[in-house]
Amino acid sequence: MAADFKTAQPVEYYRQFLKKDVRPDGRELGEIRSTIVNIGSISTAEGSALVKLGNTTVICGIKAELCTPTNDEPKKGFVVPNVDLPPLCSPRFRPGPPSEQAQVVSQFIADVLKDSKMVNHEDLCIAEGKIVWVLYCDMMCLDYDGNVIDACIISLLAALRNVALPSIEVDEETAKPKLTSSTSSTMTVQSLPVSTSFAIFDNSILIADPTNEEENLATGVVTVVTNECGELCALHKPGGSSLSESQIQECVKRSFSRGDEIRKLLDETFNSLDR
Amino acid sequence: MAGIELLSDQGFRADGRRPHELRKIRCRMGVFRQADGSAYIEQGNTKVLATVYGPHEITGGRSKALHDKVLLNCQYSMATFSTGERKTRPKGDRRSQEMSMNLRRTFQAAILTHLYPRSQIDIYVQVLQSDGGNYCACVNAATLAVIDAGIPMRDYVCACTSSLLEDTPVVDISYLEESVGSPEMVVALLPKSEQIVLFQQNSRLHVDNLEKVLDMGIKGCTDVYGILDQSVREHVTEVSNLMMST
Amino acid sequence: MTSQRADCGNLELRSQSCEQNLLSRPDGSATYCQGDTSVIVAVYGPAEVKQSKEFLDKATLEVIFKPKVGIPGCSEKFQERLIRNTCETIVLTALHPRSSINIIIQVMHNAGSLLSCCVNSTCMALLDAGLPMSCLVAAVTCSLSCDGDIILDPTSQQEKEAKAILTFVFESRDNEIITSNTHGIYSIKQYYSCVEACRKYGFVSCQSPLGTTNTVEQ
Repeated sequence: MAADFKTAQPVEYYRQFLKKDVRPDGRELGEIRSTIVNIGSISTAEGSALVKLGNTTVICGIKAELCTPTNDEPKKGFVVPNVDLPPLCSPRFRPGPPSEQAQVVSQFIADVLKDSKMVNHEDLCIAEGKIVWVLYCDMMCLDYDGNVIDACIISLLAALRNVALPSIEVDEETAKPKLTSSTSSTMTVQSLPVSTSFAIFDNSILIADPTNEEENLATGVVTVVTNECGELCALHKPGGSSLSESQIQECVKRSFSRGDEIRKLLDETFNSLDR
Repeated sequence: MAGIELLSDQGFRADGRRPHELRKIRCRMGVFRQADGSAYIEQGNTKVLATVYGPHEITGGRSKALHDKVLLNCQYSMATFSTGERKTRPKGDRRSQEMSMNLRRTFQAAILTHLYPRSQIDIYVQVLQSDGGNYCACVNAATLAVIDAGIPMRDYVCACTSSLLEDTPVVDISYLEESVGSPEMVVALLPKSEQIVLFQQNSRLHVDNLEKVLDMGIKGCTDVYGILDQSVREHVTEVSNLMMST
Repeated sequence: MTSQRADCGNLELRSQSCEQNLLSRPDGSATYCQGDTSVIVAVYGPAEVKQSKEFLDKATLEVIFKPKVGIPGCSEKFQERLIRNTCETIVLTALHPRSSINIIIQVMHNAGSLLSCCVNSTCMALLDAGLPMSCLVAAVTCSLSCDGDIILDPTSQQEKEAKAILTFVFESRDNEIITSNTHGIYSIKQYYSCVEACRKYGFVSCQSPLGTTNTVEQ
């Protein structure tokens, strides 16, 4: 009976739940699904992390390659993020070139990476003007159940902290790169941005960490990215219902507490790895 | 290849296995919610994910619909970070296209396609980490995913590689054994009827050795079948227990 | 260190001008200039829609963003999505089910605050096309310099020197934010002061969109 009602009147179905300040999956309005992080699961990658946010699953693998820097910035390496939403993750994506959604998410992640200054590009320099590292960060969604942006950013953050680069030097005589020792060094991540997304339901109710269903029914979405210093890196609201100042304040507040939770979770995960 | 001993005098392979020994297989079914069927398999260091959507309406053009059987759409792709060198084209290159086509043909032979005329089934496989025997892991994962989706099949499809190292047939070869140029044989089998649905052989192999390498491959497939069957049974028991308790 | 604009102060917008109905083929068109930044927008619709893109309960809105040079990439798609979502909020798409509305945005010259110019221009073109809208929108970009000073409607040079660039789109009914897009790092306090600074100007142009056109042109 409930299933029929849900199919016929999805919005009304949600309203009945939201009236009682609860969501169909049992969460409160501001509650975020359980987050699981698995680090270093792909041994062929220099750094990797798998993140599960409820059912939403994203895997991020980072491959490092050598390349020559640009003439303008001879000391700076490159970080190239890319988000792939393959048809495997949801029936809404068709095989073929990257969907609009994939391109939009990729661009957003690239902006966050740049704006928050996560990586010091000069750390990626091997020989000035000759050789630098380029880190290809490929995030692939394996199960699309809403809020991929948050899952992607957590996976990127965890994978970047997991990156181990081999030590390389340029041979004076042949001018070719060579491996100096088999030990690899971990990279320092300068800033730890965490994003929190909200959906706006019926032009007024804010719900945190929307599922795919909730995203489809929502009249708008907001994504807030915060860093560990209590600053904002992005407040992205692409159209949709208008928000009052107090609602934005609420989102930002929730986002800061969420950011601390995730940074703590990552620290704990990394500590358990070291042991 | 100097320096690497692929088969020791005591009859052990580089990773410590005996010639007829498979790598450790770990698999799980029903890993994702969005898909109708999904499975994850690890064969040694090769990690593969498969999802199945369907049977559903034909997408992208009615003209593709087949009036007497289901349209099977397979896509094989390798993650950019799955190999030692970064892959610049994760899908759509010739190798992946060949793999996709092989996969389609394999499953066309196993799925009861006549049950769903004018419909479509999608099988997507994704290699997350590659260490030899990618195709076999994909077939095994896809079998589990198809079973998870509840699509009727004639039989399981199990695939396994085999090779010949220093006149000894070996099963389930790793990337290291693959890359030294030893002959690689891929067999996909319907284990109950012992029918071969796919057979592929790369590089040179003397015809006298063909039979024993093939036998080794078939034996590998039956071993794989045992493991897959057990995991399906475990999964079904687990699910039914869950349903009983609620 | 911040470069001072010659034409006006940092807390004022550059001179704005707008011309509507300058193309004959589209159903609506407009060009909008903010200082040297200039964008031209054409609107086609409501027209027939491809079956695969059809919605039964509303019109399909498409935005195509053409950069001045080069081929469109990921960042253009991002802008397209942003502008499309903004337009979907204000255009009453439910009045034209199973039809398409196409918006083509061509960048003529980018001298800073491009996104806000695009949104303003699109709003004027939609108005020219006579499409029913629930309200109007006005976009304002501002930048935060390293010392935390707010510069409204920054030029490209000022954008380059800025610590953060924020763009807001306000609707004309309650003057609330419907779109917010930011780059760079800033505090929550700075965010609000930027919103306030921008809202003041968003309000003015929203009150009399056609009024601004005329006065500035004179």
